[in-house]
Amino acid sequence: MLQRRSQDPTLRASSASDSPTVRVTFEYLVCATVWLLVGTAAGLLAALKLNWPDAFTVRWLSFGRVRPIHTNTVFWGWSSMALVGLALYVVARTSRAPLWSPTLSRLALVLWNAAVVAGLLTLSAGVTRGPQEYREWIWPVALLFAAGLVLNGVTAYMTAATRRIPEFYISNWYILGAFCFLATILATAYIPLYQRGLGNVVVQGYFMHTGVGMWFTMLALGIAYYEIPRVLGRPIYSYALGVLGFWTNILFYTLIGAHHFIFSPVPWWLQTAAILFSVGMMVPVWAGGGNLLLTFRDTSGVLQRSYSAPFLLAGIVAYVLVSTQGTLEAFRSTNIYWHFTNVTVGHAHLAMYGFIAFVIWGATYGLVPRLTGSEPDPVLVGIHFWLALVGYGIYVVSISIAGILQGFAWVAGESFIRSVEAAEPMWLWRTAGGVLMVTSHAVFAVNVWAMRPGRALVDASAAPAVEVSP
Amino acid sequence: MRAYPSHRAVVGFAFSGYVALTVLIAVLPAASVQHTRGIQGAPARSALAEEGRAIYLREGCGYCHTQFVRDLPLDRPYGRATVAADYANEAPPLPGTERTGPDLSNVAARQPSDTWHLLHLYNPRAVVPQSVMPGFPWYFEQKAAAAPGDVVVPVPPRFVAQGHVIVARQEARALVAYLLSLRQPEVPK
Repeated sequence: MLQRRSQDPTLRASSASDSPTVRVTFEYLVCATVWLLVGTAAGLLAALKLNWPDAFTVRWLSFGRVRPIHTNTVFWGWSSMALVGLALYVVARTSRAPLWSPTLSRLALVLWNAAVVAGLLTLSAGVTRGPQEYREWIWPVALLFAAGLVLNGVTAYMTAATRRIPEFYISNWYILGAFCFLATILATAYIPLYQRGLGNVVVQGYFMHTGVGMWFTMLALGIAYYEIPRVLGRPIYSYALGVLGFWTNILFYTLIGAHHFIFSPVPWWLQTAAILFSVGMMVPVWAGGGNLLLTFRDTSGVLQRSYSAPFLLAGIVAYVLVSTQGTLEAFRSTNIYWHFTNVTVGHAHLAMYGFIAFVIWGATYGLVPRLTGSEPDPVLVGIHFWLALVGYGIYVVSISIAGILQGFAWVAGESFIRSVEAAEPMWLWRTAGGVLMVTSHAVFAVNVWAMRPGRALVDASAAPAVEVSP
Repeated sequence: MRAYPSHRAVVGFAFSGYVALTVLIAVLPAASVQHTRGIQGAPARSALAEEGRAIYLREGCGYCHTQFVRDLPLDRPYGRATVAADYANEAPPLPGTERTGPDLSNVAARQPSDTWHLLHLYNPRAVVPQSVMPGFPWYFEQKAAAAPGDVVVPVPPRFVAQGHVIVARQEARALVAYLLSLRQPEVPK
């Protein structure tokens, strides 16, 4: 089945997409892929260091430096660049308009790459704002990133504003929203005026939570609302549920950051509000996730034929799972057993990998061959899928068991080192899963290269301005 | 023919609503607690300990060690529950989110020996064989003989080349000074 599709002689670069937009999207994906390889290599190194703590005893590769390099590179390098590259295409396509300014988006990509490189160098040199998760970059580095964010936000907004159809499609709600939200979040995180002492902790809870939920989640959902109906060849199950999910996501998600500091001196009302709204999160999650999953109903035929649909389905399933887990983790009762343990690490990977990375991959494989006219080897796409899925399955299960064992050891009042000993065999499994994940990324890189814009696109760009039908 | 909401309306409402929610849930609560005073009579950190704290930040110690004791039975070994005043003069405070290693809010009371800390920083497995903490050998020097004034670390023979001694550099001594400053002051009733 897969082979047959790859030999499809009718595949051409879609004439509906203008080539500058396609090139921008592809450039974002290539840079993102480089950062995926770098960022997950750092993650694997960090995992190995828990198995063999005396390996690579080098100052700038110490665990405490490699860990923020891993998180920041996969957040701001890989996930952000890949999502925005795809999102810019989605905005242009659903607006039936060319990208408002490919030049600005290219400039933004340069700024983002500069920020990620500067972040790598500074963090490995130990130049950091301290372990304030995901805002470790010193402000000049963050400013580079913020400048790129504004450029892309303006480009996306103007593209939608100059659309040639009346409809402002739901994907654009999520995508344009994401730019506004991250701008707000970054400003809030870096302005020091209210961040002395405990004020910093309040902002940290807000930042690390909404940074993930209001940026990566919103972009990934926006892309999913475009790509899933397109791949399946049917409309979204319910447009209204998508709208409901959008507004409730904004309301509930924003208010729950304090659940990272339960039983802390952070005001009790703030913690309780965070727990309450964490339960409220079930509304956008099941409205949005259920909506997308229902779109998949009775489509097993497509799932067998398409190599992008399985990624998208796995991504949405992980979205529902991880968000439901997040609600369960927020309760004071579960917090006693799970907080400070590796359960958190499993949760983070289920979100950023199982959900975000899989949606990126599904959209990439679904869209890019259509845009560039070049397809990857379907067998390699299959290898990528299974290595990534099995790898992160092993990762999340083993690290979560490690966390549960840690929690039990602590609650039982055993000496601390017992929790380390209990987790150690699971950390070995975690590394094994990580090896599969990193291998799958190398396969993905090969596939991205195979999808590079081919001759078809060169021809298209030589033609006069693309005719876009409303 | 259905009416479509305009992009201005959707983006404008989402953006302004989001800023409002952010002010409500992050900025205002943060502003309201940021001026909590430190604990009266708590000793100030020495200049050496401040230097040590900078190294603690640089090496990312806070990714595995919390400074956040909850009012829960399982946190008893680490000291009394953390109060807002504990974070008053910390820039940034280091509550942390993970305990791959134990909480350090009150580590100086639990482990007051500077020799233990130096050994542990040089190579944690010199004192705790099962430990997975990274060593920081670059904050130590291997010498043929100690000079006067050197802080010699009594490292077990298998961690040092024969006929040599391990001497703590300024950074190691600063880090230990910081760790030994982590002693929870009593909260006045």
